[in-house]
Amino acid sequence: MTTKPLEPIIKIRDLTKTFGTVSALSGISLDVDPSEVVCIIGPSGSGKSTLLRCIGFLEEYTSGEVQIEGRLLGYRRTASGLVRESEKNIDAVRRNVGMVFQHFNLWPHMTVLDNVTLGPRLTKRIPTGRARGQGRHALAKVGLESFADRYPSQLSGGQQQRVGIARALAMEPHVILFDEPTSALDPQLVGEVLDTMKQLASDGITMVVVTHEMGFAAQVADRVVFMDHGQIVEKGPPVSLFNAPESPRLREFLDTWRSRNMLFQNDASVTGEGEEGGARS
Amino acid sequence: MMQSLDLWVQYAPLMLRGLVTTAWICALATVVGIAVGLLMAWLGSIAFAPLRWAVRTYVEIMRGLPILILLFVLYYGGPSIGLRLSAESVGVFGLGLYSAAYFAEIFRSGFQSIPQGQIEAARMAGLTGTQIIRHIKLPQMLVLITPSMVNQTIILIKESAVLSIITVAELTKNTTQFVNETYAVIQPYVAAAVLYWLLVETVARLGRFVERRVKF
Ligand SMILES: Nc1ncnc2c1ncn2[C@@H]1O[C@H](COP(=O)(O)OP(=O)(O)OP(=O)(O)O)[C@@H](O)[C@H]1O
Ligand SMILES: [Mg+2]
Repeated sequence: MTTKPLEPIIKIRDLTKTFGTVSALSGISLDVDPSEVVCIIGPSGSGKSTLLRCIGFLEEYTSGEVQIEGRLLGYRRTASGLVRESEKNIDAVRRNVGMVFQHFNLWPHMTVLDNVTLGPRLTKRIPTGRARGQGRHALAKVGLESFADRYPSQLSGGQQQRVGIARALAMEPHVILFDEPTSALDPQLVGEVLDTMKQLASDGITMVVVTHEMGFAAQVADRVVFMDHGQIVEKGPPVSLFNAPESPRLREFLDTWRSRNMLFQNDASVTGEGEEGGARS
Repeated sequence: MMQSLDLWVQYAPLMLRGLVTTAWICALATVVGIAVGLLMAWLGSIAFAPLRWAVRTYVEIMRGLPILILLFVLYYGGPSIGLRLSAESVGVFGLGLYSAAYFAEIFRSGFQSIPQGQIEAARMAGLTGTQIIRHIKLPQMLVLITPSMVNQTIILIKESAVLSIITVAELTKNTTQFVNETYAVIQPYVAAAVLYWLLVETVARLGRFVERRVKF
């Protein structure tokens, strides 16, 4: 189990995805390195969710490649080109990819602890006792150990999303994908989820985060990727991206965001100079 | 009144035998119906068009066909293709295959009621297709579909009266015998109504019990 330290966890090349006649992704290339936090921003419909869903193979991509830790995802190379891989082999390749959803997608008929332990119990064949121990540990990480025996419907939105994060963590993934994890939350609940995610970032967990929280991206991301019309228009460290955007489209996007947030006097400015420290090295 | 009581006491064994026959045939038919219905709902959900059409066709035929025709086909038509079944077996499979179409529809709508996001979360947690059915879909579905399943079972019990036409000695057949032998009309049918009600009420109670158990 020796991985070369510099091999990217996720390697995306010329990825395209079309839905019928709609082109959602048109030629995406991106690498995500171990322990890196990549935030993806961009206007609605720019393909952010589609990109994440292709990385988790919840969506079959149309052309190009996605590799997880050096292994091609979803397809097999043959003499006549790429062939759809079996479900079993797909599961094997994405075993180390976790996902956190905008609408949590918890299983309402199970307790919080069962939500967190089901995956490890069934897929890693971990005995129930040990899985529960690990599950409690994952819940402790998101500050919800005392909620283990509740049902999801008995939790606030922010707590539910933290369970969603614990559920992903319990699988011990090498990378976690977040699709707008705070967009479905009441404003006063956003903070607790972002704090949890900051904690994960400082633990060195590799994360790809689609978000509209520019303050979070500025503070936590190692790199920010700006998408528009299914393409990556600009990418780089948050400081340069937010302070010196090169493309007109990104400038326009940031201007719109700023003017919208002017309405709130206490917003954190998007400068990457937040008091909690800038990008990690 | 005295005369009625005498009649009821005299014919109690016959009527109770009919009740028992109706009960076990309906129980087995329900098992067949649920098993085949579940299989069809699952086959119909597989992304392979011919399978879906086959299931669709089966459901349409069963829903369009009077149950009596199906029973006649099995009972009188069966032997001509080498299928020699007792009247009771025809009852079990006839009622079972007939209600399977309805159970399949109940299961299909049950499966569809689980939000796609939950299934994607299960995928990302590494669950296989069968594990998703077993741990995510079925437990939640049961809560939703128990009332319709109870309903369907009660319909099946009442439909089972037609088995009297193919000579199964079930409750309706024995009630008719009661009528024919005594020339009484009121007493036999009152007895039949009470016994059918007992059976239906038992199923309804069982359903409410299951409903409480599967609730989360
Ligand atoms: N299942 C689908 N079927 C058809 N078109 C789709 C589907 N999913 C996404 N699209 C289209 O693909 C494009 C990209 O959608 P996507 O959801 O990835 O955008 P997004 O950047 O996540 O937007 P948002 O910020 O609103 O979540 C859009 O034009 C969308 O309409
Ligand atoms: Mg989206």
